Formats: sequence, C-alpha cells, structure tokens
Amino acid sequence: MSEFIPVGPITDFADPSSTLVEVDDESVALIHAAGSFYALDDVCTHDGGPLSDGPLHEDENPPAIACPRHGAKFALTTGAALTMPATQPTRVHEVKVEDGQVLVKLTV
Amino acid sequence: MTTAISNTTKFDAAGFEALLAERAGEPAWLTERRKVSWQAFEAANWPSSKDEEWMRTDIRLFKLDAFKPTAGVPVAIAGEQPLLSHGVDLGGRVESVNGAATLSELDGEIIAKGVVFGSLSEAVTQHGDRLQKAFDREVVSPTYDRFAMLNDACWTGGVVLYVPKGVRIEKPLHAVSRLSGAGATDMTKTIVVLEEGAEATLLMESASTDAESAGLHNGTIEIVVGRGAKLRYVNLQNWNNRTWHFAHQKAVVGKEAQLQWTIGALGARLAKVNQRVALAGADAEAQVNGVMFTQGKQHLCYNTHQHHEAPYCRSDLLYKNALQDSSRTVWRGMIQVDEAGQRTDAYQRNDNLMLAATARADSIPGLEIEADDVRCTHGSTSGRVDDTMIYYAMSRGYTRQEAVRMIVTGFFQQVFDRITIDSVREALGEAIGQRVQDLPNQ
Ligand code: FES
Repeated sequence: MSEFIPVGPITDFADPSSTLVEVDDESVALIHAAGSFYALDDVCTHDGGPLSDGPLHEDENPPAIACPRHGAKFALTTGAALTMPATQPTRVHEVKVEDGQVLVKLTV
Repeated sequence: MTTAISNTTKFDAAGFEALLAERAGEPAWLTERRKVSWQAFEAANWPSSKDEEWMRTDIRLFKLDAFKPTAGVPVAIAGEQPLLSHGVDLGGRVESVNGAATLSELDGEIIAKGVVFGSLSEAVTQHGDRLQKAFDREVVSPTYDRFAMLNDACWTGGVVLYVPKGVRIEKPLHAVSRLSGAGATDMTKTIVVLEEGAEATLLMESASTDAESAGLHNGTIEIVVGRGAKLRYVNLQNWNNRTWHFAHQKAVVGKEAQLQWTIGALGARLAKVNQRVALAGADAEAQVNGVMFTQGKQHLCYNTHQHHEAPYCRSDLLYKNALQDSSRTVWRGMIQVDEAGQRTDAYQRNDNLMLAATARADSIPGLEIEADDVRCTHGSTSGRVDDTMIYYAMSRGYTRQEAVRMIVTGFFQQVFDRITIDSVREALGEAIGQRVQDLPNQ
C-alpha cells in the first residue's frame, strides 16, 4: 500500500521550481509553482524524457510543464498531455506539506 | 590480515587508498593502472540522457555513495543452489560473495594440462606477467565511460580462465557471484583466453542472497577466442530486482574460431549492458543468444554490437524478451562491417512478447556497412499474448497461469533450441517459469 513519503523540507523547493525526487524507487518530478505543490511521474509518455528538467509554464491555463526532449506539455494538476507529440497522460501523485516537510504519496 | 576497508568506506579518495592498501600484494603495473583509472574516474561525469546510448536509460536515481568498496575478507554465504550447474558434472568451480572469492576448485587433470581457472584476484599475484598481457590488450576499453573507469580502478572480484593451445576441456566450468546485504558491491573483471585450437564451456551466473537488499554490480568481461578455438559461454544475470547492473562485455573471435554466447537477463532493478562481439579473423563465427524476462518496474537495456573486421565471418544474434507489469526493455543492436569484411553473413533479431499493456519494449536495430559483398539482415517484432490462445488453453482445463506459462515457454523455444547445453536450457526455463505471474485481465 502506498503511503505519504517525505521528500524533503519545503525550503529545498523554491517557487517556482521543478526537482527530481525519489519516492519508493520511482522518479517523481516535484513542482512548486504559484504557492502549490504538484507531483508527476518524471517520465514523458512520448519517449521517456525527464520532465523535471523541462521548462515550467506555471502561468498558463492549465499550468503545465514541458518535456525538454520534444516539448510535449503536461498539465500539473491532472497529468493530461496537452500538446503533441505526447498523447497519453502521465501519472500524478498526491502531495501534502506537514510541519515544513513535503510528502508525496504514489498513485498505484 | 587486517582490513582497511570498513563498512563506512565509500568510493572516494580515502576509500580508494584503503582499497590499494588492502591489495598491496598486487604487481606494481596493476597498482599503477588502478591509479590512472581512478584519476580518470574522478575527472569524468556519469553518462546522462544527453548521451545517445543512455537516452532511454535514466540513472539519475543511482547514487554511488549508497554502495561501499568490498571488504577483502571473504565470508562464505550459504546461497541457494546455483541454477546452471544443476546435475552437471563440472570440471571446476568458483564462488564469490560481494566480489571476494569464497571457493575455487579445479580438477587435477585439467590443472595438469596447464589450464588456469579461478579468482582473478588470486591469479594476478600468481600469474601476474601472463595476465598483464591480457590487461594490456584492453579488449574492453578502461576509459569507455565512468563505469568502466570505476571498474578498472576498484575491481576486486572476477574470474580468469586460460586454456593453453590445443587443450580441450570436456567438462563445463562454473562460476557464481553472489551479492549479500544492503550496499554490497560486486565489482568484477572476467578474463577468458582460449589459445589456438582450445575448447571450453564456461557457465557463469549471479544471484542475491535476499530479495530486498539494494546491490551494485559493475563488471567487465573480456574474451579472446584464439585461432580455431571453440568457446561456449553462458552468462545468467539473476540478481534481485533492487540491484543496479552495469556491464561492458566483449569477445574477440579469431580466425576459424567459434563462439556461442548465451545471455539470460532476469534480475536487476536497472541493467545497462554493452555486449560486443568482434569477428577479428577470417572465417570466424559467433552465435549470440539472449533471453530476457522482466517484471515489476525493472528496466533492462542491452546494447549489442557485431563487428565484422575480417572476411568470410558469420554472426547470428537472437534476443527474445518477455515483459510483465510496467517493466521496460531496450535493445539497441548494431551490425558493423568494415571494408575488409567481404562475404560477411550477419543476422540480428529481437522479439518481444508483451504480457501487460503497461510494459514497454524498444528495439533499435542498426547497420553500418562498408564492404560491398555482404549479407546482413535484421528484424524485430513486438506482440501481445494472444487472448484466443489463452481462452483455448483454459477451455482445455488449464488455469490462466498455466496457459500463460506455456505461451511464454513457447515464445522462448526458438532461442532455447539454439542452446546446445541441456542444463542451461532447463535452468533458464525453470527460472522464467518461477517468475511468470498471473496476467492481469486487460
Ligand atoms: S520524449 Fe518528451 S516529448 Fe518526446
């Protein structure tokens, strides 16, 4: 069963930023943007690009992150693929902040 | 002997000094070589997804600091029975735990023929000069990437097999490497040299003593098959699914020589292996067989390379992969034919059987041909398990799991048929059967 796993103090994650974190052996892109935290699989569904290395588009609607490889955009809230060449959504995970710690719970 | 390497030692400058201190009995040329490679390692970066070869294999979660150079005092661990040697009359065997030899045996009559088979660590102190030549040959380049540099600087384990000219060893030789405990490392070099007309069968396998401990294997395998020599070589990678496995492997096959190389890849959290065969003398022949079975979140990446440097050579590569769950395999295969490689006959093929919609297999075959009179063919297929086949088998009274197991076994049959050693075929079939789970309904 998956549970909330601490990934670091809130001060480790500037706003805005995206960081690769390890949660239960998986690569997760942790994004801090406009005061909110988001967690997505750090794997682009087009061809496996590392999402956390890509540019943030936090001011767009919906807020998104783009893959550094070929530019596919994914919605931070839902993981939906917003632009080509990705067509499949990436997984999103629950995030919460408690006592200054950021915690992520993997979606299984 | 006191051990300079403690549990807190890391792969840093102090850890490297401790490793050298512990291995003070090694020949000077080797110590010097380690130092050069260590310097190269310190100056280099890890490969990244920007490198073509690593684009599909993400190692950002790999942290070398989680692993320690192996302490040199071997502790024999009662592991499970090795798979490949089951029921085989062996001519010799070597066992190691965390890169330190725990057992080394060789039949007296084989020793009498001048064969050397045992732990490389021991051999470098006993046969240092002869081995220096093998090291100098650099079949695998010690500067290929940061993993190769680290291996060349810090290896502790591994096996050496030397078969003199004209000597034929009938009985197979066997080696098993085990990883035991969290943070354990198997940093090994394997060196195999068959002189002209020699013959041997070498079975090697790996295993973890428990399913949970994260381990690291960083190894090289260097094989030289001399003129007219014949080697059958089997390598079964069966670590637990939390082990990082990095390997550079290369065989150089001489004039009229034959190599049959079978790889089984079942374990590892992430594996990145370069497997290369060079057909270096006219009329050389290499057959490469690969069997992969993955599950969970495993990621196995194999880069194969068939290099035709001489005329009239044959190479034939077949990799078959079956994937469960959200596991992933990457196969990149290259056939390279030099201008001198006229009348080459080369083949490469990779078939993937997808047992779950969430699994993913990438096959990237390639050809690079400079000769004009060659026959080079390649192919790749990917397919799902056929539901009607399962339905049919179930209607005949098999459970779903039995049906899947039969289909998977049938899928691998083509590569099993090529493996000429009975025990190996059985062991692979057995190991895969154990790993087949029920297919999710999809
Ligand atoms: S890999 Fe991400 S867009 Fe192609």
